[in-house]
Parts: sequence; structure tokens; C-alpha cells
Amino acid sequence: MIQNQRYWNPVLETLPREDLRALQLRKFKRIFEWAYENSRFHRSLYDAAGIKPEDIRSFEDIHAVPKVEKSMMRDIQRKDPFPYGDALCVPLEEVTEFRQTSGTTGQPVYQPDTWQDWEWWAECWSFILWAQGYRSTDRVFIPFGYNVFVAFWAGHYGAEKLGCEVVPGGVLDTKARILKIQELQATAMMATPTYVLGMADTARNKMGIDPTTLSINKITCAGEPGAGIPSTKKRIEDAWGAKVFDHAGATEIGAWSFECADQPHGMHVNEGFFLVEIEDLETGKIIEEPGKRGKMIITALDRQAQPCVRFDSKDIIEWDADPCSCGRTFRLIKGGVVGRSDDITKVKGVLLAPSAIEEVVRSIDGLGDEFEVVVDKVGDVDRIALKVELMPGAENRKNDIEGRLVDQLRIKTNLRYNLSFHDYETLPRYEVKAKRFNDLRKVH
Amino acid sequence: MSETDLTKIGEKVLRLKETAKDLDGLSNDFPAVRRNIQRIMASIKMIEINTLDLIADE
Repeated sequence: MIQNQRYWNPVLETLPREDLRALQLRKFKRIFEWAYENSRFHRSLYDAAGIKPEDIRSFEDIHAVPKVEKSMMRDIQRKDPFPYGDALCVPLEEVTEFRQTSGTTGQPVYQPDTWQDWEWWAECWSFILWAQGYRSTDRVFIPFGYNVFVAFWAGHYGAEKLGCEVVPGGVLDTKARILKIQELQATAMMATPTYVLGMADTARNKMGIDPTTLSINKITCAGEPGAGIPSTKKRIEDAWGAKVFDHAGATEIGAWSFECADQPHGMHVNEGFFLVEIEDLETGKIIEEPGKRGKMIITALDRQAQPCVRFDSKDIIEWDADPCSCGRTFRLIKGGVVGRSDDITKVKGVLLAPSAIEEVVRSIDGLGDEFEVVVDKVGDVDRIALKVELMPGAENRKNDIEGRLVDQLRIKTNLRYNLSFHDYETLPRYEVKAKRFNDLRKVH
Repeated sequence: MSETDLTKIGEKVLRLKETAKDLDGLSNDFPAVRRNIQRIMASIKMIEINTLDLIADE
């Protein structure tokens, strides 16, 4: 029976590694040639580097292809063919979808897609959802704003492709969404980790509904690293009584990775559809061996309207040494996306990834889900402050909680913090991407 | 699934693609056919990526 089939594509997902690599090389050549022939932006980039399609014969040749930065896309857009500019590879009338990046790191980048590209988005999501156990018997609730950001749009279409019944939770507020989940007995949900935690909090503390009594049995999280951070994942799973799966994707890239039902503490790269290279942050060399972190350079092997060829994603990842118990030959990235190269910062001379603070705060019983970090400078000296919330009823354990927090922060981040404890629900709440790390040194 | 099965699927996908192209060619003045066949061709492309690409020797 097809519902019992473990893989969305039983051939591709179990392809021997050498065959998979050969496929990636063939497909890279094809997309490179497509970009070279159809995009003035890509052609001029490659001509300047002296690289033509026939020069791509090996992975070493691929590593030499110039990378594309988000800033380069910003520079060429808002020009003809309006508004996409010179990277558009198809006639404007073939574009059926518009999305844009969130703009958290600058001016948003526009993303055109043809209908074929949109089918491809849904196809990428079909791999994700099938691997996480979604089937046609699922009723999937999507509490997302359905706007210009791609977010869970393609998740919606991917779930439809699997045959799931999809409930769009668009403009409803959080309480109405929870009531709709209850009313329809939805079995699955997709949202950011921040919002999923916020929904659980609202249900429990403002509506008197225990989320574990609802019928949600699996949640796909994306948009933030939370579901890959063990303590955050555990909080969500405990709050909802559901399995939580991580996924990472991006507007300019596509839905490139997924955690499978075996929950291997990492995500598979869909290597049939994407080529992921990891670049050493200092040397710029490609890291092939597991256990060494670097920056992800990614190619979407089948995307046409605005190709994504060796895009510098700035995501920090590392290969896992071990294969997954699920049997997929798609490699795992250990712990998912562990940070972004533009988020990692030095405080008091120590390299700090904000996700390490999240891991500590969410691992301590008695602390709320929300926190805030502020880094500033007095004279030449960095200061780092951490604001946390005490859960109601935990006040008499404050000293113990503080001691554990200080110890864990020192172990995990090698830093001392100015700690402050706040009443529950007094720190900011977020619905989409949270901004809990504020580096005021960059402002002044 | 054996390579033979994949090849069989691939052959039928190619036939499907040819049929879709033929229909596209016949639909110059027929929006209801043209736009639906465009969507079908995008779906066929997804089957192609999932099957034919795996056996193609370019």
C-alpha cells in the first residue's frame, strides 16, 4: 500500500552515493548552462570569471564558479524586466508567482517563479512532508498569514499534493486558530517554533485548553532554528504532545532540507534537488569531512525563472558523520542550521552564536520560553545582558534557577551575563521571526 | 523498484510529454486547453525529475 511506502521517491532517496553525486554533477551542468544562456546577470558574472558551461566537468570545477550574494540580487532588481532585472530567465508573461524575502538583512529580494517552479516548490515540500509521516489521512492546519513571504505557502501546496486536507488558518487570531484546530480535529500543523510555543501558551493560560488534549500529532517547524535546538524542540513536543520536525528553506533557494520521522537530531539535504557545499569561513575552501562547521553555498538544481546557482546562504552547517537510520542516502547536517555567519559575533573576544543561549534558557525548568539578549559597549569593554522570565509558581526556586542558568551559560557560551529576571509575559512576544538578540554595538 | 521499472516509467513519461506538447500545439485559440496543458506539462516535468533524470545519460 502506497501509504506505507517510507520514501516519497524510493529510487532517488536511496540512490548509492556515487550515483547521487553523478546525478548532481549532471544537473549542475544543466542549470549552469540554463543560467548562462538565459540570464544576462549570470552570463556576465561567469564571463568575468572566464567560465563557460563546457568548463564544468567535475566538482572542483563547480567550486570555482563565482558565488551569488543576496546583495548582488538587490543591485540588479527594480529594473527591467520590472521588477526582477537581469537574472530573469523566462519571458515576464511566464511568471505566475511573486514572493519576496523578509528583508531582515536589508532591502527585500524579489523572487519570480513560473508555474513549473511552483510545482517544483510543492515537490520539494512533498519530500519533506512524506518523510515526516504526513499522509492523505491528515488534516493539516496552517496558521500563517498567506502574504508576500513564501513561508508555508509551498507547504500548503505540498500537503495538497500528498492528498492531505489543508485548512488555511490565514487571518484568524491565535485564539480563533486554536478553536479551529479543536473544532476540526486537525492532526498536523506547520509554523515557526516561536509561534507554536506562543500558541501553546495562549491555549493553556488564556483559554484553559491543554494543547496535548488537541489532536495535533505532528508539527513541522521552519523559519527559525528552534526545532533543531534540543531544548526548544522538547518544549514544543511536551506542550503539544506531538512530534516536532525541523525544516529549513529560503525564498531564493527553495525547500532544501528536512528532518525525517526518525528524528536523527539533524536534517537531510534533498541532494536530488539541491547541491550543498560547505565553505570554510576562514580559508574559503570546501569542507567535505564531517564535524567541521562552515557556510552553506547552495544550488537549486531545477529552478528556472530566477536560478539559484552557488548562492551564499550564510547559514552555518556541518555534515554529520553518521548515516540516518531511515535508510536515505541523502546526507545529514548535524543539528540542522546552527546559525548564520552574519549572526555569529564576538563578545568579550569570545565567538558567540545566539542559538547557544536559546538552548540553555529553554533547557531550564522554571524559565519561560521568551528571553532577550542585549550586547553593548562601555568604553572598550563589551557587556552582555540576558533577560529571562520566571514561570508562575517558580518564584521560590529563583536562586536555584539562577545558579543553573549561570553555570550552563558559562559552559555553553564561555561568557558571564548581567542577568535579570522578569515577570511572566512581560518580555516581547513574536508571531513570525523572533528578534531576541540585540547587538547595540552595531547601532552606535 | 528495479532499473527496468524505472525505464518503463520513463518511456511512458516521454509519451505523455509528447502528447502534452501536441495538445499545446493545437491550442493556439483555445485558452481552456492551453492554460490547462501548461499546468499538466509542469506536472509531467516533476515526474521527469523524479524518474527520467535518474537514468538519463547526458
